[in-house]
Amino acid sequence: MIKKQPAPEMKKHRKVYSKGDIAFNIVNYTVFFLITLACVFPFYYLFINTISSNELVRLGKIQLYPREIQFENYVQVMKIEGIADALLVSVARTVLGTLWTVAGCAFLGYLVTKQEMWLRKVWYRMIVITMYFSAGLIPWYMNLRMLGFLDNFWVYVIPGLVSPYNVILVKTFIEGMPPALEESATLDGAGYIRCFVSVVMPLITPILATLCIFSAVGQWNSFTDTMMLMPSGKYYTLQFLLYKYQHEAQSLAALVRTTQDSGSMANLSIKQTALSVQMTVAMVVTLPILLVYPYFQRYFVKGIMIGAVKG
Amino acid sequence: MKKRWAGIIVLAVVLATLFLPAAKVYVHSQLGEETAALFPKTVSVGDVMLKGADCLPTAEVPQLGLIAFDGWMLIAGLVLLALAAVALAMGEQWIHASIVLSFLSIGLTFTFSLQVNNLCGSLLFTLLLETQAWIYAPAIGGLVMAVLGFASLKEAPAMNISDRTFRLLSGVLAILAVLCLLLPSHVVSVPETITADPADAAAMNRSTPLWKEMLGSESNLRAEAAEKGVYGSVLTGDIEVLVPYSNDANNIQGIFTIGSSTAAPNAYLIAAVILLALTALLAFLPRADRWFPLSLSVLALICIGATVMSIMNLGSGDMYATATRQLCHLGLGSLTVTPMLMTLLTLASAGCGVLGVRYANEPYFINPIPKKSRLKVIALALALVSLAFVLLPSTTVSFTKPGKNKVLATVDVSGLESLTFHAPEELLHPTDSKGKAIYQEEAKEDELNASAVEALMQKLFTSFSISTWITLVLIAAGIAAVLAHKDKKLPILLFLLAFVARLVTWLLAALSMPRSIGSSGATAFLYISLPLLLFAAFFSNFVNEEELPKKYKLFLMMLPFLVAVFLFSYLPLYGWSYAFYNYKFGIPMDQQEFVGFKWFAEMFTNQGHRDNIVRVLKNTFGMSGLNLATSFLPMVFAIFLNEVNNMRFKKAVQIFTTLPNFISWALVFSFAMAMFAMDTGIFSKFMLSIGAIQEPVAWLNSSEHIWLKMWGWSTWKGLGWGAIMYLAAIAGIDQELYEAAKVDGANRWKQMRYITLPGLLPTFIVLFMLSVSNILNNGMDQYMVFQNSMNKNTIEVLDLYVYNITIASKGTALYSFATAIGILKTLVSVTLLFSANFLSKKLRGESIV
Repeated sequence: MIKKQPAPEMKKHRKVYSKGDIAFNIVNYTVFFLITLACVFPFYYLFINTISSNELVRLGKIQLYPREIQFENYVQVMKIEGIADALLVSVARTVLGTLWTVAGCAFLGYLVTKQEMWLRKVWYRMIVITMYFSAGLIPWYMNLRMLGFLDNFWVYVIPGLVSPYNVILVKTFIEGMPPALEESATLDGAGYIRCFVSVVMPLITPILATLCIFSAVGQWNSFTDTMMLMPSGKYYTLQFLLYKYQHEAQSLAALVRTTQDSGSMANLSIKQTALSVQMTVAMVVTLPILLVYPYFQRYFVKGIMIGAVKG
Repeated sequence: MKKRWAGIIVLAVVLATLFLPAAKVYVHSQLGEETAALFPKTVSVGDVMLKGADCLPTAEVPQLGLIAFDGWMLIAGLVLLALAAVALAMGEQWIHASIVLSFLSIGLTFTFSLQVNNLCGSLLFTLLLETQAWIYAPAIGGLVMAVLGFASLKEAPAMNISDRTFRLLSGVLAILAVLCLLLPSHVVSVPETITADPADAAAMNRSTPLWKEMLGSESNLRAEAAEKGVYGSVLTGDIEVLVPYSNDANNIQGIFTIGSSTAAPNAYLIAAVILLALTALLAFLPRADRWFPLSLSVLALICIGATVMSIMNLGSGDMYATATRQLCHLGLGSLTVTPMLMTLLTLASAGCGVLGVRYANEPYFINPIPKKSRLKVIALALALVSLAFVLLPSTTVSFTKPGKNKVLATVDVSGLESLTFHAPEELLHPTDSKGKAIYQEEAKEDELNASAVEALMQKLFTSFSISTWITLVLIAAGIAAVLAHKDKKLPILLFLLAFVARLVTWLLAALSMPRSIGSSGATAFLYISLPLLLFAAFFSNFVNEEELPKKYKLFLMMLPFLVAVFLFSYLPLYGWSYAFYNYKFGIPMDQQEFVGFKWFAEMFTNQGHRDNIVRVLKNTFGMSGLNLATSFLPMVFAIFLNEVNNMRFKKAVQIFTTLPNFISWALVFSFAMAMFAMDTGIFSKFMLSIGAIQEPVAWLNSSEHIWLKMWGWSTWKGLGWGAIMYLAAIAGIDQELYEAAKVDGANRWKQMRYITLPGLLPTFIVLFMLSVSNILNNGMDQYMVFQNSMNKNTIEVLDLYVYNITIASKGTALYSFATAIGILKTLVSVTLLFSANFLSKKLRGESIV
């Protein structure tokens, strides 16, 4: 395991920069500024388009800054049939799925570190090897169908119990801990589960936080599973609705017409259009990620480091 | 002190929300403008509480006369909430009381909110009430209060309650909760005007206790309908009365059928009753674990909650569950739930249980089974349960006509039946759903006649009987052997033999049924009994020991995970067999047409398929290749970012460039749609303004340069993320190397070229090889969102192609062909991965997997 070294503190160069250095720095900073801008601008662009007058948006007049600011889009979009439900499903699958998979992988990662287990190596290899092959789309689909997971909310949660990659991460992390802690707890009469909950869990929270954030983002972002596994239109997620709205503009337009309040018909600037609904939903989908992102940013650097060591 | 303030603030907030609009009122135009003007636009919870139904002008509109809000429930709930706040503020010894009070208050206020919400659903035609979220504010207040109470439990002194009192209390509460199911739980009222006979209307105005619901409200209604003709008269005779309330008479007639599904609430309720009874039993047991009654009563609570929700929920699936509810839904009656004491009592018992367990004076974890015989009890319990499972329906026989797939009849054969050796009538002479015999005495040419079927079935049944008897005897002998505990080898052998006997039953079921009659298979009970018997054998090995050996204990903990891995990762491999059949949906596997390697051959021989596969592979390799060729970019990004001296700028760049990795492809496509829109997007505007294009171009709906565009998007999304690993690797490079280089006069370029780059190359090589082995797996999210009819030819990668020809195309799905492609793909990927691993071992002495 690589010991994390202190970030390379740039020595304060008291010396005078050479001309070449200055030129290099200017170019370097500019390029990175442009790349960063390219990464951030789409978010900003979408945002100003959802808070500006829909009429101006339709005419393509909103490019760099918002005009005639209104937040009616966000109020109206919640009234569209199915969106509130989809939001609930998205939140539920993110919360439950994350808890389920992180709890499962953490405990399993702890179990596979136990040398005394019967045939430990066999089981461990059996789990890890599933990382490298997949049965393919159709067998996967038919299997879930056979197990009764079609049109079933729990398909978002239950199959995610064991993720070999996460198990390896947890296992590596636990193996890096001093074994004395657990031994002393065992001497005090704690069983395996007690040991895990009271001794190991508090020590592996950094890696658990990393797993949480990855799993939650994955759950929140996935939409292809909804597309394949929900043939009768139950338990749509927000991401899937976004996908649907993008690709079925006509049905969306019809939906917008029927949910439109007759009162707001007259005012073009807040009248919903297929485009405004699609963009607003996209913004609603992004917001949670934007909100938690800065806070969790430091965790995935750690996670990816641990992952890199094992490869 | 803080708690006190929190309690007061919660209370204040709840009181404030009482004056916010709880429901919006929309009046039907039918009422006329003058009457409509009488209606308030919004109704607050406070109004409902103070005036009850009078908050709406019921006097003016007689059909609203039925509306009744149980405002007192809310008042009582608020009083309890206030008491809970007071208790919370009083000090530590009152915290327990505060929790119970807030539980009770949640129950009452939540019931009230549900009731109002429910009424709003049933007032359909004359006016529409739309509840606002505020209606739940008092209930949430109670919840916050309970949470506050629980949070303060840590500091609270132990509750001064003896074990006996605690047991008595929770046992009595559980019994009371069961008894409460006898009380009326919901009330249905229907105005007299809609039925011809006032007696009918009286019959329909009734209150129902939950236990009636449990016994099957549907059949109750059917019986009632048959006896009194009540529903009959609504259904047929008085339909004209209903018409004014609806635009379309046919609609109503269609709706008025007694629904068929109330099974779910019944099951919930039965479960709740059993759980509550168990709670009471366990609570009175002198030496039982206290956690069991507690957790059981919490489960019972959830069950009852689910029942109540489904009764009240007139929307969605249960909308047309029963005729009375339909009336309510049409706004011709009302359905209200009377205060559900049982919910409250269970809540209270849960609360008491929590408190008792949390702060009991005595140790609470007492297992009534002596330590020495615990493993024996487990073994016996497993054996007994598997014995019971043998007696349950274990095989199901389905009859079909030869060459047809429609199942005409299914018969479950239970172990109990087969003990007698006399086959049941429906097995010997199967009849279809209409009661007509499937097999006649005079059979058509390719069919069996009835007597032949009878003989076959009798033979099959006799073999079932024999195997069932053998299994039963073996299990019983095993149980006796465990009890006698002379020798531990004997019970193991017996249980294993029983396991084999079950397997034989399963094989009999699967194989001995002639295909010309139909098929038969094992039920879930049989499948479950197999592992049960294995476990019984396993545990009977340790009947004389106090504890399981550690290695098996760990294995048992591991087992659920192994089962999950098997179910979701290994079981799908069974699906590879589809590739060798001409698979059609909805036909059992043993009746599919076997075609051998036809589909694999078709990939190369069939012109159409071959062209498609070549095209798709070209796309796959093209786009993966572009990404591979530029996979050095994140490394370059990291190297140059490392040269940025301003830490704040560096950090900001890192944060913002990683962001795109965390959004879904659907969202990326939203960006694309907005920015690259044909004439309004910023990209088009920009290109037009600098004169790069003369007229708007459909960027997304074109087939040009798709590979490049896709490459662009995936680089945009992945560049910053890919750099993180290299940045981490740079941080691991020894700083002294740079110092030494500086002393030797190396400039910045030289340091980058001769220190940083070589330091990163190993990481780069590993990642590069991994992506080479993943060259076929470039996923499909990205290509799926960007796919449209214009670019389909050049964007379809292998995964997307497989999806497109199967799940996406309903009628002409090529499941077998797609499976064959999947198999080849997996084989190629695994080979690539292992070659990469082999290479890595050779070159670097380190494996990558």
